[in-house]
Amino acid sequence: MKLTTKQLTLCALLTAMALALSYLENLFPLSLAVPIPGVKLGLANIVTVFALYALGPGEALLILLARCFLGSLFAGNMNALLFSLLGGLCAMGTMILLSRRRGLSLYGVSVGGAAAHNCGQTAAAVLTLGSAAPLYYLPVLLAVSLLTGGLTGLASACLFQGLRRTGLMKG
Amino acid sequence: MRAFPKLRPTAWDGLVVLCVAALALGTALFQWRGGSSGALTAVVSVDGEETDRFAPAELLEAPRIYSANGYTLEVCAAVRGEASPLDHRNSGGEAGIRVSRSDCPTQDCVHTGTITRGGQSIVCLPARIVIRLEGGTVAPDAVDAVLG
Repeated sequence: MKLTTKQLTLCALLTAMALALSYLENLFPLSLAVPIPGVKLGLANIVTVFALYALGPGEALLILLARCFLGSLFAGNMNALLFSLLGGLCAMGTMILLSRRRGLSLYGVSVGGAAAHNCGQTAAAVLTLGSAAPLYYLPVLLAVSLLTGGLTGLASACLFQGLRRTGLMKG
Repeated sequence: MRAFPKLRPTAWDGLVVLCVAALALGTALFQWRGGSSGALTAVVSVDGEETDRFAPAELLEAPRIYSANGYTLEVCAAVRGEASPLDHRNSGGEAGIRVSRSDCPTQDCVHTGTITRGGQSIVCLPARIVIRLEGGTVAPDAVDAVLG
Protein backbone atom coordinates (compact mmCIF):
# COMPACT_ATOMS: atom_id res chain seq x y z
CA MET A 1 0.00 0.00 0.00
CA LYS A 2 1.39 3.35 -1.08
CA LEU A 3 0.51 6.42 0.98
CA THR A 4 0.80 10.04 -0.09
CA THR A 5 2.25 12.57 2.36
CA LYS A 6 -1.26 13.88 2.99
CA GLN A 7 -2.61 10.40 3.76
CA LEU A 8 0.36 9.61 6.00
CA THR A 9 -0.12 12.86 7.91
CA LEU A 10 -3.83 12.16 8.32
CA CYS A 11 -3.07 8.63 9.58
CA ALA A 12 -0.55 10.02 12.09
CA LEU A 13 -3.06 12.61 13.32
CA LEU A 14 -5.81 10.02 13.70
CA THR A 15 -3.43 7.67 15.56
CA ALA A 16 -2.60 10.49 17.98
CA MET A 17 -6.31 11.21 18.44
CA ALA A 18 -7.07 7.54 19.08
CA LEU A 19 -4.29 7.38 21.69
CA ALA A 20 -5.60 10.54 23.36
CA LEU A 21 -9.15 9.11 23.44
CA SER A 22 -7.85 5.84 24.93
CA TYR A 23 -6.16 7.87 27.67
CA LEU A 24 -9.24 10.07 28.14
CA GLU A 25 -11.58 7.13 28.72
CA ASN A 26 -9.53 6.15 31.78
CA LEU A 27 -11.09 9.24 33.38
CA PHE A 28 -14.52 7.57 33.00
CA PRO A 29 -13.93 4.13 34.54
CA LEU A 30 -16.93 2.13 33.34
CA SER A 31 -15.57 -0.79 35.38
CA LEU A 32 -16.80 0.95 38.55
CA ALA A 33 -20.37 0.57 37.28
CA VAL A 34 -19.81 -2.83 35.65
CA PRO A 35 -16.98 -4.46 37.64
CA ILE A 36 -15.71 -6.79 34.95
CA PRO A 37 -12.16 -6.92 33.57
CA GLY A 38 -11.94 -5.32 30.14
CA VAL A 39 -15.08 -3.16 30.30
CA LYS A 40 -14.40 0.11 28.45
CA LEU A 41 -16.30 2.79 26.59
CA GLY A 42 -14.16 2.20 23.49
CA LEU A 43 -13.89 5.86 22.53
CA ALA A 44 -10.91 5.12 20.28
CA ASN A 45 -13.31 3.13 18.12
CA ILE A 46 -14.76 6.45 16.90
CA VAL A 47 -11.44 7.06 15.14
CA THR A 48 -11.41 3.53 13.69
CA VAL A 49 -14.94 3.95 12.30
CA PHE A 50 -14.06 7.36 10.86
CA ALA A 51 -10.86 6.05 9.24
CA LEU A 52 -12.71 3.05 7.81
CA TYR A 53 -15.19 5.23 5.94
CA ALA A 54 -13.05 8.29 5.22
CA LEU A 55 -9.74 6.61 4.29
CA GLY A 56 -10.44 2.92 3.71
CA PRO A 57 -9.79 -0.44 5.41
CA GLY A 58 -5.99 -0.47 4.77
CA GLU A 59 -5.38 2.91 6.37
CA ALA A 60 -7.82 2.13 9.22
CA LEU A 61 -5.87 -1.08 9.93
CA LEU A 62 -2.56 0.84 9.95
CA ILE A 63 -3.99 3.34 12.46
CA LEU A 64 -5.31 0.51 14.62
CA LEU A 65 -1.96 -1.33 14.67
CA ALA A 66 -0.06 1.89 15.47
CA ARG A 67 -2.51 2.67 18.30
CA CYS A 68 -2.20 -0.81 19.79
CA PHE A 69 1.62 -0.88 19.71
CA LEU A 70 2.12 2.73 20.88
CA GLY A 71 -0.62 2.43 23.54
CA SER A 72 1.04 -0.65 25.06
CA LEU A 73 4.45 1.01 24.84
CA PHE A 74 3.31 4.23 26.56
CA ALA A 75 1.45 2.26 29.25
CA GLY A 76 4.60 0.20 29.85
CA ASN A 77 2.47 -2.91 29.75
CA MET A 78 3.26 -5.20 26.87
CA ASN A 79 0.82 -7.79 28.28
CA ALA A 80 -1.94 -5.42 27.21
CA LEU A 81 -0.73 -5.67 23.60
CA LEU A 82 -2.32 -9.09 23.06
CA PHE A 83 -5.62 -7.82 24.45
CA SER A 84 -5.75 -4.64 22.37
CA LEU A 85 -4.50 -6.42 19.22
CA LEU A 86 -6.94 -9.33 19.38
CA GLY A 87 -9.84 -7.08 20.36
CA GLY A 88 -8.93 -4.45 17.77
CA LEU A 89 -8.41 -6.90 14.91
CA CYS A 90 -11.69 -8.73 15.63
CA ALA A 91 -13.51 -5.38 15.73
CA MET A 92 -11.82 -4.18 12.54
CA GLY A 93 -12.58 -7.39 10.62
CA THR A 94 -16.21 -7.29 11.67
CA MET A 95 -16.60 -3.59 10.87
CA ILE A 96 -15.02 -4.03 7.42
CA LEU A 97 -17.52 -6.78 6.64
CA LEU A 98 -20.49 -4.88 8.07
CA SER A 99 -19.55 -1.59 6.37
CA ARG A 100 -19.91 -3.37 3.00
CA ARG A 101 -23.58 -4.04 3.73
CA ARG A 102 -25.33 -1.07 2.18
CA GLY A 103 -28.35 -1.24 4.49
CA LEU A 104 -26.35 -0.73 7.69
CA SER A 105 -25.71 2.66 9.27
CA LEU A 106 -22.83 3.70 11.52
CA TYR A 107 -24.82 2.41 14.52
CA GLY A 108 -24.99 -1.18 13.30
CA VAL A 109 -21.33 -1.16 12.26
CA SER A 110 -20.27 0.27 15.65
CA VAL A 111 -22.37 -2.18 17.68
CA GLY A 112 -21.00 -5.11 15.66
CA GLY A 113 -17.45 -3.82 16.13
CA ALA A 114 -17.89 -3.34 19.88
CA ALA A 115 -19.29 -6.87 20.29
CA ALA A 116 -16.44 -8.35 18.22
CA HIS A 117 -13.92 -6.31 20.26
CA ASN A 118 -15.23 -7.84 23.49
CA CYS A 119 -15.14 -11.34 21.99
CA GLY A 120 -11.50 -10.77 20.94
CA GLN A 121 -10.53 -9.47 24.36
CA THR A 122 -12.23 -12.43 26.06
CA ALA A 123 -10.29 -14.77 23.77
CA ALA A 124 -7.08 -12.96 24.77
CA ALA A 125 -7.97 -13.38 28.46
CA VAL A 126 -8.63 -17.11 27.95
CA LEU A 127 -5.25 -17.47 26.19
CA THR A 128 -3.37 -15.41 28.81
CA LEU A 129 -4.90 -17.09 31.87
CA GLY A 130 -5.00 -20.59 30.39
CA SER A 131 -8.51 -20.87 31.79
CA ALA A 132 -12.04 -20.66 30.39
CA ALA A 133 -13.13 -18.60 33.43
CA PRO A 134 -13.22 -15.26 31.51
CA LEU A 135 -16.00 -16.72 29.30
CA TYR A 136 -18.25 -16.28 32.34
CA TYR A 137 -18.14 -12.52 31.74
CA LEU A 138 -18.83 -12.69 27.99
CA PRO A 139 -22.66 -12.36 28.20
CA VAL A 140 -22.33 -9.16 30.26
CA LEU A 141 -19.58 -7.81 27.99
CA LEU A 142 -21.78 -8.44 24.93
CA ALA A 143 -24.73 -6.71 26.60
CA VAL A 144 -22.51 -3.73 27.48
CA SER A 145 -21.27 -3.61 23.87
CA LEU A 146 -24.82 -2.76 22.76
CA LEU A 147 -24.57 0.41 24.85
CA THR A 148 -20.94 1.31 24.11
CA GLY A 149 -21.32 0.48 20.40
CA GLY A 150 -24.44 2.63 20.24
CA LEU A 151 -22.59 5.51 21.92
CA THR A 152 -19.58 5.34 19.58
CA GLY A 153 -22.00 5.05 16.66
CA LEU A 154 -23.76 8.22 17.83
CA ALA A 155 -20.44 10.05 18.25
CA SER A 156 -19.29 8.93 14.78
CA ALA A 157 -22.62 9.99 13.23
CA CYS A 158 -22.28 13.44 14.86
CA LEU A 159 -18.72 13.68 13.54
CA PHE A 160 -19.74 12.87 9.95
CA GLN A 161 -22.74 15.19 10.20
CA GLY A 162 -20.50 18.01 11.38
CA LEU A 163 -18.02 17.39 8.58
CA ARG A 164 -20.82 17.41 6.01
CA ARG A 165 -21.99 20.79 7.30
CA THR A 166 -18.49 22.24 6.96
CA GLY A 167 -18.48 21.23 3.31
CA LEU A 168 -15.24 19.25 3.75
CA MET A 169 -17.10 16.04 3.02
CA LYS A 170 -20.01 15.42 0.75
CA GLY A 171 -22.58 12.72 1.33
CA MET B 1 -13.82 10.33 1.15
CA ARG B 2 -14.42 6.77 0.00
CA ALA B 3 -18.03 6.18 1.02
CA PHE B 4 -20.27 8.43 3.03
CA PRO B 5 -21.99 6.27 5.67
CA LYS B 6 -25.65 6.19 6.58
CA LEU B 7 -26.07 8.41 9.65
CA ARG B 8 -29.56 7.37 10.73
CA PRO B 9 -30.31 3.96 12.27
CA THR B 10 -31.90 1.47 9.89
CA ALA B 11 -33.85 -1.78 10.27
CA TRP B 12 -30.65 -3.68 9.42
CA ASP B 13 -28.99 -2.11 12.48
CA GLY B 14 -31.80 -3.64 14.53
CA LEU B 15 -30.84 -7.02 13.11
CA VAL B 16 -27.21 -6.52 14.27
CA VAL B 17 -28.47 -5.56 17.74
CA LEU B 18 -30.70 -8.66 17.80
CA CYS B 19 -27.77 -10.88 16.76
CA VAL B 20 -25.55 -9.47 19.55
CA ALA B 21 -28.38 -9.80 22.09
CA ALA B 22 -29.02 -13.39 20.97
CA LEU B 23 -25.30 -14.17 21.29
CA ALA B 24 -25.29 -12.65 24.80
CA LEU B 25 -28.33 -14.69 25.77
CA GLY B 26 -26.90 -17.88 24.25
CA THR B 27 -23.57 -17.53 26.03
CA ALA B 28 -25.39 -16.63 29.28
CA LEU B 29 -27.50 -19.79 29.09
CA PHE B 30 -24.39 -21.86 28.37
CA GLN B 31 -22.06 -20.20 30.89
CA TRP B 32 -24.50 -19.52 33.71
CA ARG B 33 -26.26 -22.86 33.72
CA GLY B 34 -25.14 -23.47 37.32
CA GLY B 35 -22.43 -25.30 39.15
CA SER B 36 -21.63 -28.98 39.24
CA SER B 37 -22.86 -31.24 42.00
CA GLY B 38 -20.95 -31.62 45.24
CA ALA B 39 -19.86 -29.30 48.01
CA LEU B 40 -19.06 -25.71 47.10
CA THR B 41 -15.29 -25.47 46.59
CA ALA B 42 -13.04 -22.56 45.66
CA VAL B 43 -10.33 -23.38 43.13
CA VAL B 44 -7.41 -21.00 42.70
CA SER B 45 -5.37 -21.09 39.49
CA VAL B 46 -2.23 -19.16 38.68
CA ASP B 47 -1.09 -18.99 35.04
CA GLY B 48 -3.58 -21.75 34.24
CA GLU B 49 -2.18 -24.12 36.89
CA GLU B 50 -4.35 -25.08 39.86
CA THR B 51 -2.53 -24.03 43.04
CA ASP B 52 -5.14 -24.27 45.78
CA ARG B 53 -8.53 -25.80 46.51
CA PHE B 54 -10.54 -25.16 49.66
CA ALA B 55 -14.03 -24.91 51.12
CA PRO B 56 -15.14 -21.25 51.39
CA ALA B 57 -15.91 -21.80 55.10
CA GLU B 58 -12.17 -22.26 55.73
CA LEU B 59 -11.74 -18.55 55.07
CA LEU B 60 -13.68 -17.76 58.26
CA GLU B 61 -10.57 -18.84 60.19
CA ALA B 62 -8.19 -16.64 58.22
CA PRO B 63 -8.03 -15.01 54.79
CA ARG B 64 -5.74 -16.54 52.17
CA ILE B 65 -3.07 -14.61 50.35
CA TYR B 66 -1.86 -15.36 46.81
CA SER B 67 1.07 -13.78 45.01
CA ALA B 68 1.90 -14.11 41.34
CA ASN B 69 3.49 -12.08 38.56
CA GLY B 70 4.48 -9.31 40.99
CA TYR B 71 1.04 -8.79 42.54
CA THR B 72 -0.53 -9.98 45.78
CA LEU B 73 -4.20 -10.41 46.57
CA GLU B 74 -6.10 -11.42 49.69
CA VAL B 75 -9.18 -13.65 49.52
CA CYS B 76 -11.63 -13.64 52.42
CA ALA B 77 -15.07 -14.96 53.35
CA ALA B 78 -17.94 -12.58 52.68
CA VAL B 79 -21.69 -12.37 52.56
CA ARG B 80 -23.22 -10.66 49.53
CA GLY B 81 -24.61 -7.32 50.65
CA GLU B 82 -22.82 -7.39 54.01
CA ALA B 83 -19.81 -5.37 55.05
CA SER B 84 -18.32 -8.23 57.01
CA PRO B 85 -19.03 -11.95 57.39
CA LEU B 86 -19.07 -11.38 61.15
CA ASP B 87 -21.90 -8.87 60.87
CA HIS B 88 -25.07 -10.83 61.65
CA ARG B 89 -27.59 -8.00 61.55
CA ASN B 90 -29.00 -9.27 58.24
CA SER B 91 -28.73 -12.99 57.76
CA GLY B 92 -30.58 -12.99 54.43
CA GLY B 93 -27.43 -12.70 52.30
CA GLU B 94 -25.59 -15.47 50.47
CA ALA B 95 -22.25 -16.60 51.90
CA GLY B 96 -19.33 -16.59 49.50
CA ILE B 97 -15.83 -15.31 48.94
CA ARG B 98 -14.31 -12.10 47.63
CA VAL B 99 -10.96 -10.47 47.01
CA SER B 100 -10.66 -8.02 49.88
CA ARG B 101 -7.34 -6.46 48.89
CA SER B 102 -5.07 -6.41 45.87
CA ASP B 103 -2.13 -4.29 44.76
CA CYS B 104 -2.90 -4.81 41.06
CA PRO B 105 -3.36 -1.60 39.03
CA THR B 106 -6.87 -2.30 37.69
CA GLN B 107 -8.55 -3.43 40.97
CA ASP B 108 -11.16 -5.29 38.88
CA CYS B 109 -10.76 -8.35 41.13
CA VAL B 110 -11.67 -6.26 44.19
CA HIS B 111 -14.56 -4.52 42.41
CA THR B 112 -16.02 -7.86 41.26
CA GLY B 113 -17.31 -8.28 44.82
CA THR B 114 -18.63 -11.46 46.38
CA ILE B 115 -19.14 -14.66 44.40
CA THR B 116 -21.45 -17.20 45.96
CA ARG B 117 -22.39 -19.89 43.40
CA GLY B 118 -20.71 -22.66 41.47
CA GLY B 119 -19.46 -21.50 38.07
CA GLN B 120 -18.77 -17.92 39.22
CA SER B 121 -15.21 -16.64 39.20
CA ILE B 122 -13.03 -13.69 40.09
CA VAL B 123 -10.30 -12.90 37.59
CA CYS B 124 -7.20 -10.81 38.28
CA LEU B 125 -5.66 -10.27 34.85
CA PRO B 126 -2.45 -8.49 35.96
CA ALA B 127 -1.65 -11.26 38.46
CA ARG B 128 -3.07 -13.95 36.15
CA ILE B 129 -4.97 -15.45 39.09
CA VAL B 130 -8.42 -17.02 38.70
CA ILE B 131 -10.57 -17.89 41.72
CA ARG B 132 -13.45 -20.10 40.64
CA LEU B 133 -16.27 -21.65 42.63
CA GLU B 134 -17.17 -25.23 41.78
CA GLY B 135 -20.01 -27.43 42.96
CA GLY B 136 -22.73 -26.09 45.19
CA THR B 137 -25.70 -27.87 43.64
CA VAL B 138 -27.27 -30.95 45.09
CA ALA B 139 -27.26 -34.06 42.88
CA PRO B 140 -30.79 -35.16 41.83
CA ASP B 141 -30.34 -38.55 43.49
CA ALA B 142 -28.85 -37.12 46.69
CA VAL B 143 -30.33 -38.17 50.03
CA ASP B 144 -32.19 -35.31 51.76
CA ALA B 145 -31.64 -36.58 55.30
CA VAL B 146 -30.83 -39.76 57.18
CA LEU B 147 -32.90 -40.42 60.28
CA GLY B 148 -31.49 -42.98 62.69
